[in-house]
Amino acid sequence: MSQRSRAPDLGSAREIEEGLGDPFTAAFRATRMAMAISDPRQPDNPITFVNDAFTKLTGYSREEVLGRNCRFLQGSETDPASVDRVRDAVRAGEGIELEILNYRKDGSPFWNSLVISPVRNEAGKLLYFFSSQADVSAKKEIELELTRARDRLEDEVARRTRDLQIALDQQTALLHEVDHRVKNSLQVVSSLVLLKARRIPDEGVREVLLNLAERISALATVHRMLYSTGDVSRFNLAEFVAELSGDLVTTRPHGQLELRLNVDPVAVSAAKAAPLALLVNEIVGNAVKHAHPRDRHGCLSVEVTRPGNDVRIVVEDDGVGMDMRGAPEHGFGKTLIELLGRQLRAHVDWEDAEPGTRVVVTMPLNAEEAQL
Amino acid sequence: VKKSLRILIVEDEILIALELESLLQDAGHEVLGIAASADEAVSMGRDLGPDLAFVDIHLADGPTGIEVARQLARHGVMVLFMTANAKRIPDDFAQAHGVIAKPIRNAV
Repeated sequence: MSQRSRAPDLGSAREIEEGLGDPFTAAFRATRMAMAISDPRQPDNPITFVNDAFTKLTGYSREEVLGRNCRFLQGSETDPASVDRVRDAVRAGEGIELEILNYRKDGSPFWNSLVISPVRNEAGKLLYFFSSQADVSAKKEIELELTRARDRLEDEVARRTRDLQIALDQQTALLHEVDHRVKNSLQVVSSLVLLKARRIPDEGVREVLLNLAERISALATVHRMLYSTGDVSRFNLAEFVAELSGDLVTTRPHGQLELRLNVDPVAVSAAKAAPLALLVNEIVGNAVKHAHPRDRHGCLSVEVTRPGNDVRIVVEDDGVGMDMRGAPEHGFGKTLIELLGRQLRAHVDWEDAEPGTRVVVTMPLNAEEAQL
Repeated sequence: VKKSLRILIVEDEILIALELESLLQDAGHEVLGIAASADEAVSMGRDLGPDLAFVDIHLADGPTGIEVARQLARHGVMVLFMTANAKRIPDDFAQAHGVIAKPIRNAV
């Protein structure tokens, strides 16, 4: 009998019953761990030994399994990827550990914690594959349930995140819509005042109404900018100052006033937008209208910077000084500047720029704005 | 010599339209009429043949200003959009020639 075809000697029933033979063999036979041995040197690596625990676990008798490849344990729901892993390991003569869905003789499935180890002789020649099988269905079921619970949780989190995002989008859209409507209404009010102003013969009264319309229009611009940007909580002060200054300068004959803008990107909280816009409108409007009376040419410089945690707005002209400006509205404009400055906790300094006037507004940013 | 233009105003807010009319008249132009809806705008554009139309995007019958611009362009009218939100204008500009931001200010 050649070495090749001989099954491993695991002792006879008599030897076990009488306590004879190899104690390891006896242990193999008696253990509650299902075990099998296959012979890779025979065609299709047939099973050459199984213990009682194996037959108990699988429901097959020893006669039914000996001489067969152990793939008969696979069934319809067995993961083909797991089957591939086992086949590849066996082909390569390597060991493998995995959990695979197997089927008993009666067709009932069980999760098999399978360990396959190659057995080699001293020369390194592959003699057998030794495998152990354990039913881990209960553990696997808990794992699967945990996975399902985690998936459900993730789905729920995703759903709630989606709901929150939708709510946020709706809120943003609503705020944009509100700003849009406020802008439209302010614009109508401004038009109303301008229409009335046209019908007033008294130049002084007309001047008052035009100034009023300009202030309302500045507020309309604020609301337009608030809904034109993605972030509803911040007001782009730099953009506003640049646009308003440009607009105001064009109310003077072309070329009379040269505008020098030096505006750093600064944003403030949307809550400050309206008072700040009115403040800037007063200061820049005042300079545009009164610093260069009649056809006097000159220059207006508007600067927005952010030293430290302050916003600094500097409006400087090279026209006639404050004392020389005889505008009837001037008193109210200055009062408005002081009131708005107080509301914004800003310092407003009026300086003689020799020639002209320099107005410096310094407004502290809050912690949130400092992050913008 | 400044050429006087014959202008159509397409705007559903009557006070804004009137104020714009005054501004244009002050600048020496002739305002042919004010249309508040898309139908009015297109028929007035066709019947009156203005040189130029100021078109608001949002009209009495919805955001129809874009389509009005296309129709007016077909009748050879030059179109300027008036809007506070230039993002609503399509990429091809609907054959319009420009856009002015609202609120509109009087520049000398």
